[in-house]
Amino acid sequence: MHGYLLFAGKRALLMLAVIFFGVSLTFLVTHLSPINPVEAALGRMTARSVSNPEAIVAMRAALTELYGVEAPLWSQYLNFWGRLVRGDLGPSLMAFPTPAMTLVMRAMPWTVTLLTVATLITFVVGNILGGLAGYSQNNKFLKAFGIVAIAIQPVPYYIVAFILLIIFGFLWPILPISGGFAMNVTPGMNWPYISSVLQHAILPASSLVLVGFGGWFLGMRALVSNVVTEDYVTYAELAGVKKSTIVGGYVMRNALVPQLTALAMALGGVFSGTVITEQVFNYPGLGSLLIDAVNAGDYSLVLAVSTVSVTAVAIAIFIVDLLHPLLDPRIRAE
Amino acid sequence: MSNLLEVSNVSKRFTMGGLFGRKTVDAVDDASLTLSAETPEIFTIIGESGSGKTTLARMILGLELPSSGEISFRGKTVSHRVGRQERLEFMANVQPVFQNPFEAFNPLKRIDRYLESTARRFLKLSQRDDLDGAMDGSLQKVGLSLAEVKGRYPHEMSGGQLQRAAIARALIPNPPLLVADEPVSMVDASLRMSIVNLLKSLRDDLGVSVIYITHDLATAYYISNRLIIMQRGRIVEMGDARTVLDNPEHPYSRLLKASVLSTEDAGDGKLATDPGMVTLAGELVGRPGRLVDRADGRMVRVYG
Repeated sequence: MHGYLLFAGKRALLMLAVIFFGVSLTFLVTHLSPINPVEAALGRMTARSVSNPEAIVAMRAALTELYGVEAPLWSQYLNFWGRLVRGDLGPSLMAFPTPAMTLVMRAMPWTVTLLTVATLITFVVGNILGGLAGYSQNNKFLKAFGIVAIAIQPVPYYIVAFILLIIFGFLWPILPISGGFAMNVTPGMNWPYISSVLQHAILPASSLVLVGFGGWFLGMRALVSNVVTEDYVTYAELAGVKKSTIVGGYVMRNALVPQLTALAMALGGVFSGTVITEQVFNYPGLGSLLIDAVNAGDYSLVLAVSTVSVTAVAIAIFIVDLLHPLLDPRIRAE
Repeated sequence: MSNLLEVSNVSKRFTMGGLFGRKTVDAVDDASLTLSAETPEIFTIIGESGSGKTTLARMILGLELPSSGEISFRGKTVSHRVGRQERLEFMANVQPVFQNPFEAFNPLKRIDRYLESTARRFLKLSQRDDLDGAMDGSLQKVGLSLAEVKGRYPHEMSGGQLQRAAIARALIPNPPLLVADEPVSMVDASLRMSIVNLLKSLRDDLGVSVIYITHDLATAYYISNRLIIMQRGRIVEMGDARTVLDNPEHPYSRLLKASVLSTEDAGDGKLATDPGMVTLAGELVGRPGRLVDRADGRMVRVYG
């Protein structure tokens, strides 16, 4: 038990280091971006009206002062950490003065729900079918499934997404193709809103499931077909252990250990959103927010999104690290 | 004289390939052998990779069904699909020992749990003391003890210890027959003899018959009573171990014996086998021939 605590402590330190370096790196990258947030904001403000040059100069000075971008990089960096440890990520620059965190929190439920559900469906279906395909390798249905999985696997995600859009949006228009919910419903706990949200999620979710499932299927099939040939499985079969127990207790469980690592990583990645999905389906999530923030030079918001996703991935890896020794005794020994 | 195991005219044909181009392979072709119930013996199956020795063993264990022929254990057939209950009864009498001790146990399961569930299942024990007694008893037979094994996972033991634990597990139901598929080929040379001696003492002291599958002629010569030599699915020579190995008659058996590395040959820088012998043995592959009895009790396959 003492060894385990020591191990957990080490991993926790590692996690903090990963978060520190990840966030620092994002800070550096965003602040070296060629897009100047002051100019971007000025561009937005002066786009629709003609202002006199003095007013623009005055506005530029005011915005520079307001955003605090004239200070040297290292003092901005120290300021940033000073605020971050207090849980404050500063105001968004493009939606000044709304706190960046508020925008992130507004976008997060969309992305996180969509991606978590899609990832879990993909994981469960892919692994169960893949495991069965690896165990009963002569099953015609599962063989055909394998061929389909291999065929879909190399197709780029956006192609699959567009094909779905064309089929269900134009050729057979039964599903909404854009947005998170319909215009004519009021957000809240009412059925029209909920059903609209669900309907809007079908296409993005199925595109993610279609593309993601093949990887789990093929991975699990390969893992299981390795485990099946091990003698302890043969022995269990000989001893008349029930087929379901063999598949569940001996084969799947042993093959699942590496798959769980991948699952945790995928779930951690949920917080960074999927830029392409959200762009293609115009879905209101973290990915869209990130793109808008990058285009507006809103590094405060970019940093907020990145900090959340870096932290989520680091925590996910930390949890996997903690769980691994409990799942696999071979890791406990080290 | 009653028979413990009777294998009569057993063949196994595998079909390979999918949609395009099927190919059949005769892994075992018309094999027959008998083990007597009265005198325990070590019966060795020798052959190179692909000779069908493992397939034959898998059929004896009931893991594969023969394409034709019949295998019976104590007069009851095992060469058709059986229910769970019959499977258990058979397993209580015929236990396997596998080649790779590291694969013989689920890496996520403790070894004592394996032994315990085997004892529960086959000996119908449920009291803690009885279970521990049965486990310790069979571990003692292989030179281990429950104290050494308790609470340990497979990766925490050496290959030799694991192979002994695998044999201990096989011994829990007190089976009259063990099927050991190359039990020493993955074990360090230094530990090999301890396993081989263990098999020998199982026969001599506990009256367990062993089907010992190997490609190692030296250990086969050392412990077996009788043996068969297989070439590409066919039994080419069968008989008393000493008689056959002292003076092999079939060209393939002679090739096998000539291929055993000796320190003298290696010292002379002579490692290749006589090419004439290899061609002679190779030409016989695929030719049916027939087994004939010889005066010294052996059977040899002759052609033409």
